[in-house]
Amino acid sequence: MEKKLKKLLQNATRVAPKISKKGELFELRNGLVSPYPQTRKDAIKKTIQQMTLGKDVSSLFPDILKNIAASDVEQKKLVYLYVMNYAETHPELCILAVNTFVSDAQDSNPLVRCMAIRTMSMIRVDKILEYVEIPLRKTLQDDNPYVRKTAVICVAKLFALNKELCQELGVLEDLVSALEDSNPMVVANTIAALSDIYEADPTVVPLPLLIQKHVSQFLLALNECTEWARIIILGALAEYSARDALEAEQIIDRVTPHLQHVNAAVVLATVKVVIKNLPLIQVNSESAIFSKISSALVSLMSTPPEMQYVALRNIRIILQKYPQLLTRELRIFYVKFNDPLYLKLEKIDILVRLVDPSNLKQCTLLLAELKEYALEFEPEFVARAIIALSQLGVKYSEIKFVRKVLDILVELCKTRDSFQDDCLVAMCNLLRHAGTGEEEMITQVCSLAQVWGSVESVLQTDYAKCNYIWLIGQFPGQFDNLQRKIQTLLDSFTQEESLTQMSLLICVVKLHTMLPGSILQELLNLATTSTNEVDVRDMAIMYWRCLSLEGSNDDLINQLCNSTLPEISNTLDTFSPSLLETLLRELSLLSSIYYRPVATMTKFNAHKSNHVKGKQLDELKFMARDEIIRNMNEDNLLDFEDDSNSAINVGATNGSTLNDLNDLFDFATEPIQEQSKSEQPLEESLHDLTLNRTDQSHSNVNPNKSRELLDLF
Amino acid sequence: MGNFFSSMFDRLWGVNKEMRILILGLDGAGKTTILYRLQIGEVVTTKPTIGFNVETLVYKNLKLNVWDLGGQTSIRPYWRCYYSNTAAVIFVVDSTDKDRMATASKELHMMLQEEELQDAALLVFANKQDQPGALSASEVSKQLSLVELKDRSWSIVASSAIKGEGISEGLDWLIDVVREEQL
Repeated sequence: MEKKLKKLLQNATRVAPKISKKGELFELRNGLVSPYPQTRKDAIKKTIQQMTLGKDVSSLFPDILKNIAASDVEQKKLVYLYVMNYAETHPELCILAVNTFVSDAQDSNPLVRCMAIRTMSMIRVDKILEYVEIPLRKTLQDDNPYVRKTAVICVAKLFALNKELCQELGVLEDLVSALEDSNPMVVANTIAALSDIYEADPTVVPLPLLIQKHVSQFLLALNECTEWARIIILGALAEYSARDALEAEQIIDRVTPHLQHVNAAVVLATVKVVIKNLPLIQVNSESAIFSKISSALVSLMSTPPEMQYVALRNIRIILQKYPQLLTRELRIFYVKFNDPLYLKLEKIDILVRLVDPSNLKQCTLLLAELKEYALEFEPEFVARAIIALSQLGVKYSEIKFVRKVLDILVELCKTRDSFQDDCLVAMCNLLRHAGTGEEEMITQVCSLAQVWGSVESVLQTDYAKCNYIWLIGQFPGQFDNLQRKIQTLLDSFTQEESLTQMSLLICVVKLHTMLPGSILQELLNLATTSTNEVDVRDMAIMYWRCLSLEGSNDDLINQLCNSTLPEISNTLDTFSPSLLETLLRELSLLSSIYYRPVATMTKFNAHKSNHVKGKQLDELKFMARDEIIRNMNEDNLLDFEDDSNSAINVGATNGSTLNDLNDLFDFATEPIQEQSKSEQPLEESLHDLTLNRTDQSHSNVNPNKSRELLDLF
Repeated sequence: MGNFFSSMFDRLWGVNKEMRILILGLDGAGKTTILYRLQIGEVVTTKPTIGFNVETLVYKNLKLNVWDLGGQTSIRPYWRCYYSNTAAVIFVVDSTDKDRMATASKELHMMLQEEELQDAALLVFANKQDQPGALSASEVSKQLSLVELKDRSWSIVASSAIKGEGISEGLDWLIDVVREEQL
């Protein structure tokens, strides 16, 4: 009963907008201009609700704006939220809010002050920016650190929106002086704002110099601020190069406590700072700092898989510089059964890199572990484990161990159905590493490959086939019915990819004395006539020439084909030294995951987007050209039938098709706002096209005219 | 529970209801000064209003929601956004600004033609009477051709926002009219 009454009364007291026939927006608007404050607030809430649902309530802008000057902070927040969202739809109306922004920036409540300046600097409306100066200046000098830290970020926002105005107002100087603020949050935000500005335009602020000057402030602020601020400050510290060993040591001492921070990003940022300063100080590998870094990295391995992945990518970079760093922690990086696949692959990679090649016990342990992995069921994972086995064998390099690895691989190859490709590649790598002396191993591998009936059914990848052919070419004595094997390969020659084609070419030329001449002849024919690969064709032509030379051609062929390959000593891919240095500097950034320096990435992106636009443009151009050509043909046909009007017809149709095309382009380009640039070439191309067409129509007209003249005569 | 009853009665008797009053006029006429004279009874230093000020004040048991809109040429077109549900309009004229009296008159009459303001009462303040050379209320009235207004309760009061003269007289009149109309 009471509930019912409550409901009834609630309905009576609040006329919160309900959906009626006149539509939601109408109801909301009525609510927003209601003479009852509570109703207005309800209507605002309802509007925001609609906004978050993704409905377009931008038409209520003027009515919402009326409620901005409320003393109620909750309502103010909602209105500000709305204004942020829809300011760009009503740029001219935003000016009505200026007075409120300015007075709110002097409100007694710091939250309101923050809100005002934050909103004001983020609305992309030029008219508003004209009035931002006074509030921004006031809030930059505010007593409350919360307001100040918001204001410094606003400077960066303002800079992004209007660089000239920002420089004119001179707030950048205020920003620089804010680096000396007593509050660590303000310092951190200032450095974040400065880095943003520096990134956009390095000429405006001397960021490296500023960092140099304020290192001591950063170190002081580091312990007292939030984790995000810490990341920013650590990032700035990583930019700083210490003057001498003493200073470097000092910096390391100050940041090392943060290696134990709970936030993985803080840990990585700290590692970055430490690694930056490590080369300056005298350390041996037993130094305490290494054990600290290693335990920090190990702690990252107990985070969620996504973060582990990031950590592993970073660890790989660090490992190339300091290979000894984590050798004792091998066990931590063992794959767990419930790791996601991407993490498993990354872990295998790290495991082989981690292992200490002078420690037999560890290598044997890892070998057993990898063998287990190779018996799993996920194909990518097993393939990676097989490759890792060969990498481990090559890395440990001792022949007994290599034999053991080979045994495992042979066993795998026999027992598992679908991993012959990877096994063969891995075994060939081991053979190349062990050299030609190891008869036993060679026989083992060859007898395995020997029993495969047709290569097609066993090997899928180009690379594996290439290895198989290499095996035949290298150890022809180990294979019976060599001729038939080569003949089957030859039959499918044209379907193979270039790597296989080339290796078959080399193999056959190498063994031409052991094979009937017809095979060689057929192959050379095929390779010179039926392949699209220029390299394969050139190579075939070269061999053909050599073979058809008079005299001592056998020596020449021997020299060409039987040169001993360099022994493989490392099958792990590494970064080039310069890339490594860059990546170490950009540890914990996105570039450490992609293994591409930040500088190249932005360029790549810009290039890519241009490329996409260009493609679109090309497509449009083609469409235009096709259309015009088609019309032109029709016009020409018309010409024959009707001489006198043809010239006019051509002109008229030209005009209309062009208009159509223009419409088409307008429509196509409208959704993309930044098309102003690309529209120019478009117009040019259209211009070109029109020129072409006028030429054509002229040529059409001329004979007509001459005919008319003739008639006159 | 009591809360609900009280708010229901509020609604029934119109206690919590706010009267919306607009203060309009050309730039520099003294609108913001008048608003804060009403609100805090003091003269505040003002800057040109870009946008609006709004204050809620209680006058003779009536809750007034007083809107002071910026008078600059760029903002005048947006006055119309604020017309709906308006009980009364206070139009402020700078009595010393003889040159722009015609402009003020034009703006005033244009505004009064709006559908949404048909029922709104009009109070004109002939402001800045403290200044030398200020036109008297009747002269301003003539310049604004107020006599032409029909079907509308209007009044003109000579005032000085700086000295606080005339403001409360004008408002008293306005409140009386509005209350009559509302009840």
